[in-house]
Parts: sequence; structure tokens; C-alpha cells
Amino acid sequence: MTGASWVGRTLLLASLVCGTDGPFDIELFNTPASPTAQGRARLVFAESPFGVAVTADGRASYDVRIDASGLPDPATLGAFSSYVAWAVTTDLTQWHRLGRVANGTSVVGHAELNKFLLVITAESSPEPRDHSGPTILHGTSPSGWLQSFLSHPLFRGLPP
Amino acid sequence: MFRLLCAVALLAMPASAQRSAPVKKPPAMPDMPGMRGMRDSSIGGTRDTSTRRKRATSSVDGGSPMVMTDADMAEMAMPVPMPKGMPMIPGLVGLTPAVTSFLPGAGVDPRSLPLAKASRLARLRNGDTLDLTAMLVRRIIKGHSYVMYAFNGQSPGPLIRVPQNASITVRFHNRIDLPSAVHWHGVRLDNRYDGVPGLTQAEVASGKDFLYTVHFPDAGIYWYHPHVREDIQQAMGLFGNMRVDAAEPGYYSPVNREQTLMLDDILINGDTLIPFGKERADYALMGRVGNVLLINGEPRYSLRAQKGDVVRFFLTNVASSRTFNLSFGGAPIKVIASDVSRFEREERVSSVVIAPAERYIVEVRFDRPGRFAIVNAVQSINHYLGEFTPEVDTLGSVAVAAEPAAHDFGRQFAALRTNDAVSRDIAPYRKYFDKAPDKTLTLTVATNTLPLATVQFMNVDTAYFAPVEWVDGMPDMNWLSTARQVRWILRDDATGQENMNIDWHVAQRSVVKIRIFNDPKSFHPMQHPIHLHGQRMLVIARDGVATKNLVWKDTALIPVGSTVDLMVDASNPGVWMLHCHIAEHLEAGMMMAIHVDSVGAGAAR
Repeated sequence: MTGASWVGRTLLLASLVCGTDGPFDIELFNTPASPTAQGRARLVFAESPFGVAVTADGRASYDVRIDASGLPDPATLGAFSSYVAWAVTTDLTQWHRLGRVANGTSVVGHAELNKFLLVITAESSPEPRDHSGPTILHGTSPSGWLQSFLSHPLFRGLPP
Repeated sequence: MFRLLCAVALLAMPASAQRSAPVKKPPAMPDMPGMRGMRDSSIGGTRDTSTRRKRATSSVDGGSPMVMTDADMAEMAMPVPMPKGMPMIPGLVGLTPAVTSFLPGAGVDPRSLPLAKASRLARLRNGDTLDLTAMLVRRIIKGHSYVMYAFNGQSPGPLIRVPQNASITVRFHNRIDLPSAVHWHGVRLDNRYDGVPGLTQAEVASGKDFLYTVHFPDAGIYWYHPHVREDIQQAMGLFGNMRVDAAEPGYYSPVNREQTLMLDDILINGDTLIPFGKERADYALMGRVGNVLLINGEPRYSLRAQKGDVVRFFLTNVASSRTFNLSFGGAPIKVIASDVSRFEREERVSSVVIAPAERYIVEVRFDRPGRFAIVNAVQSINHYLGEFTPEVDTLGSVAVAAEPAAHDFGRQFAALRTNDAVSRDIAPYRKYFDKAPDKTLTLTVATNTLPLATVQFMNVDTAYFAPVEWVDGMPDMNWLSTARQVRWILRDDATGQENMNIDWHVAQRSVVKIRIFNDPKSFHPMQHPIHLHGQRMLVIARDGVATKNLVWKDTALIPVGSTVDLMVDASNPGVWMLHCHIAEHLEAGMMMAIHVDSVGAGAAR
């Protein structure tokens, strides 16, 4: 069994064991640039002697594991050679490169943002300094679904 | 501006409406089989203050003639402190928890009580005896005096220090106004002395005594606390550490200083303790999360050190619910041990995540002069705005002088030791790591008759639950929830049985793999620090990922949505509790018993 297939089987087992709808799961959506692409991501606490990995200021530290399929050869999309995952702040101002993504399971780097978008782009290099190619898949960290209740009827009577 | 308008709105509300709004009385919840005698933890001998309306200052400082205690004035009609920018839900304003309020020392003149002293070392040898008295004391916190509890008048209780493999006798004297008992947390001792009323002994009534024999087979840091209404007794000061010195020389690296820190919090509104539920716990949803953080009972711990000093800290989280993320002003930290052993390998960390009841032993090097703040830094969630907010609380500081350390242990600190003895100890268990789980549990919750606004909010705020809630983001809803309305559940997946109805028997000397899943789809999912009495266990995997650096534990934090595999070394015969160590979750039923049957004393199932 190859290392990659072993990781894949382990992750499949993990997803079966752990379920898929919790605070760790990200559904990825494709874009017109690559309508065949599909994917899901799972956040797993980075290795830590405490089990729960957080930064010194309390942000969760996750390894990001991406299961993707239907990714075409990046060269078919233009002058690209790789797919790269990024953790992006919700205001799109900071892009943190996580690592290279391919069809199958990819374990990429740490995400340490409270809320973030997970974006996969086509790039001309597996380790680009900045993103420049088209977005192929994207999703929102589970924490990104936190919503404001400022105007909810439950708080009716309080000023907005 | 918004908070100002909220305040105006609350002030405009008639005082009578805030104090005497009808309390929603839930129907009685029937006792569950198997829990009788354990769940019946209501408090006798205290006065019902629910009809009181007059309030007065609780201060006993400054020569005031006032002799009433907080307990005399305790009532539930006070607002709970809300986080900055988080309003109470209008539908909850004026409601109070469906309990009678309780604080220690009702009817006692606080001036008759001794002022709590700092913890003192009780160094004991094999065969020695210690008298341990739970008693009422006065404690000063941030300049205000409160009637609380203490062991031997000390806060924390005496630091019991013994050599490994020693046995001591403890004469426990209960002189507080509640029944009590002492649990020796993490110690693999004789089951008869585990200190769990209803399971291993009867409650020790106020004025009565109990004789414990405590044997210490494992080196490290442990703690003792009551196992009766922990939500009150532990929160009000009944805890202390036990340090067991290893028989093996050089067990730890050399350091310049050692400090034992008990991390805690307390819930205070202004200068008044927020009362507890007399019949049952309140704050049952999230547990009581204090708003004043404490080290060794004090809000401002301080330590003096010299430049280059390496300090070994023995950390214990004794808070009812709070998980800490502790750091030392950017000083480098090395984690070397946890609950019941050292790690296989020492590791560098930037902070220490420590859940209720867990212990970690860390070494910190203060390599430059100056002040190093000891902080708890977390990201809280404002459920109203749907945003994360950084929160930093300073618990104390280390003042480092320019004068260099008397001995330079920098080289030893820089090295990360590999503890082969720990790996050798674990090696016989590795062959069991890949087996299918012997037992599986799901963690969940059931509720009934919570206030409508609470239910409505919880039903709409379901898009995201944090794996770990670091603060109480909804203290109004939490305060109003009681252990009658909330039932936290350990569910045996094989049988569907729950909590004390679960009937697990395992054979002594068996190795039991327990898989625990914390269901994120329950009404109010939350992390649970799961504690197993009287045995040791390994956390061998989290969410399908094997643990690379093992350590023997007695408490494991299970985040929301996580699946954790525990490998239990069932070496110690008896009937042992497994429960959540959030005190209010325990009071709300989240406990079960595991029978470790002596080989030859009955067939294991």
C-alpha cells in the first residue's frame, strides 16, 4: 500500500468514525473555472501535548486535510502547474498558503485563523508567494457560519 | 452607545419586575434508577432565602457593625455579569433560576471566622497521619471579604508532599455546613477510600469524621477535593495538591525553583458572591465560569526570580468549568509531565491548555530581567454579534531581577529529554492500540422546561459550536439553567443506557479501549473533561489521528465534535466513577461507574 493510499484509507476511516457534520468540516464549492471539481475539507487539531492545539493568544491551530476529486490537469486552465490551498481572512486581505492540493487526499499546513475561507487556486508553482491564478474550489470554516443576532426578533426591544 | 441604551432600558424596568418576576417552576424530574443516594445532593440545614427582599452590603471589612454574611442575604434577584457588548435576551430579564439560593456560612458571624491562610507544606512519610478539616473561613479577594471554605484554614489546602509508594492516614473532619467527603484525584488507591458518597462511602455529615488511607503508587502532582456538590464546595475553596516525589533519582531535570499553582476562577458581581443553587446546581448548561481568575486563591500571584532561572511549575486546574490557555509573558515553556506520568518526550510549547482537573508540569526559563505576566489568553465568542473577541486575563507575574541565577540550568532546559522509562512502561499496551473499541460512549445533553427565550436562542444559534468554549458567552441563559432542567448524558452506544444506568464490568488487569464521541448536534454541545477514578489511561488517538507522544492521564478533554480513544489500564479493582469534571455537568448527571472485577472474584463481562 502506498503512503498516499494509506493516508487516504486512514482519513476515510477517520471520517466514518468521526462523522462529517461538526465544527471541523468544510464543504468546498466549485467555480465556473472548474465545474468538475469537488471537495471537502476537515480540520484536525494540530499535534499538541494537550490534545487541543491553540496559539498563545487562543486561536485554534488545525491541520487542514482536503479530499478533492475532478481536478483537471492545471495546464488545461492556462499557464498553471499546481493547485494550492490558502487560508484567507474573511475580508480577503490576508492569504496564508497552506500547501499543494491534488486529487485524492492532501494534508496541507496549519490554519490558525478564527474565521477563514479555504480557497484552492491554480498556480504556476506549488509554492507561490502570492495567489494569482483562478479559484477552483472554496469553502468557509465552520466558525465562519457564526451569525449576528443584532436584528433578530429575540432581541426585539433592544436598539440595533 | 448601545450598552448605554441597554442600561437605560434595564434601569427603566420597575425594580419589582426584576426581583419578583414569576419563576418558571419545572415539573419534578423523577430520580433515575441507580442514582439514588448520589444525585440526591440537596443541601440540608440551610435557610430558605427565596422570599427575602432586603439586601445589604456583604462587606465585613472596615469595622462595620454588619454581621450578616453573603449567605444571609443570598438571593437570586441580582443581574449576572454579562460580557462586554452582550445584552441579556429581553425574554430572560427578570427571571431567576428555579432554586433556593445558597452561600456558605448562613447565620454565622463572619468575625468569628479565621482569615484564610496561604497553603502550607505538609511533608509526610510513609505511615504518617494528617488531620484535614474542612471549615468555614473568611477570604479576602480584591479587597472584599467573603465567607468561604478551606481545608485546615488554608487556601488552597495543605500541599501534601509524600514519597512515591508511601501510604498515609488522613483523619478528615467535616466542619462545614454541608455533607462532604474527600476524593484523592488521580491517585490509584484502595477503592474504599476514593471518597465518592453513594458509591464508595457514605457522605460525611457536618460535624462528623472519616478515616482515609491513601497510597501513592505514582509520582507527580495530584489533588484532593470533595465529591459532594463540587459546584459549591470546590468553587468555595475546598481543594489542595498532593505532590508525590519519585523514587527514581533525576526524575526531573534540575531547576532553580519549583512552584505549585492551582488555577481557579470565582464568580463575583461587584463585591458579592453569586449564590449557588441549594437544591441543585445552577449554571447547568456551561458550568459556573468565574469572572475573577485566581492562582492559589489570589487574583495577583507573584514570584521573584533571577535572570536565567528555570522554574518548574506544577499546574492544576481546579476551576469548575474554565479551560485555561496559560502562558508566561513569552518566556519559553517546556512541558514535561501530565496527570499520572511524564511524557515520553519533553516538548516546547507556546502556551499550556489545561482543562478542569487536569495537571501539567512545565518548566519555564526567564532569560532576561523584567516582568513576565502570567496570562490566560483565549478567543471568546460573542454569540450576539457572531464574532470572536480576544480576551487576555492576567493572573500574576514573575519579576526577574538582573542578577544572574545562582546556578545556570540553561543547558538542561535547552535539552528535550526522552523518557525511555515511560515508553517502556507503555510498551506492553501498544499491541492493544489497534483493536476495536471495547466500549463506546456518546456525550450529549437533554433539556426540559428551560426558559422559552433560551430555547429559542439555542435553536437558532446552531450554525457553529466551538470545539472548546473558553468563556461563558451567554451567562444569562447559563445562570438560569439548573440541574433539573439540564441532564448531561454519557450514553453507552451498545445498550442505549445512560449515566448511572450503564453497567460496565471489566476484569482486573484487562486493557480496555473506550471510544468517546462528543456529539456536536445536541441542544447545547460543549467540551467535556472526562475523568476516570482510580485507574490510569492513555489518550491513544483523537479524531482518528494517533497520539505520537503518550502520557498517562486520568482526565482527558473531549472537544465538541471530536472522537477520542482512551486505553484504560484497568489494574485497580473496585467500582470507579467516570464523569465529566465540569462540576455542574456532574451535578446534572454526567457520571457512570465502571466495575473493575478482581480476577477470581467474579466473571468479567
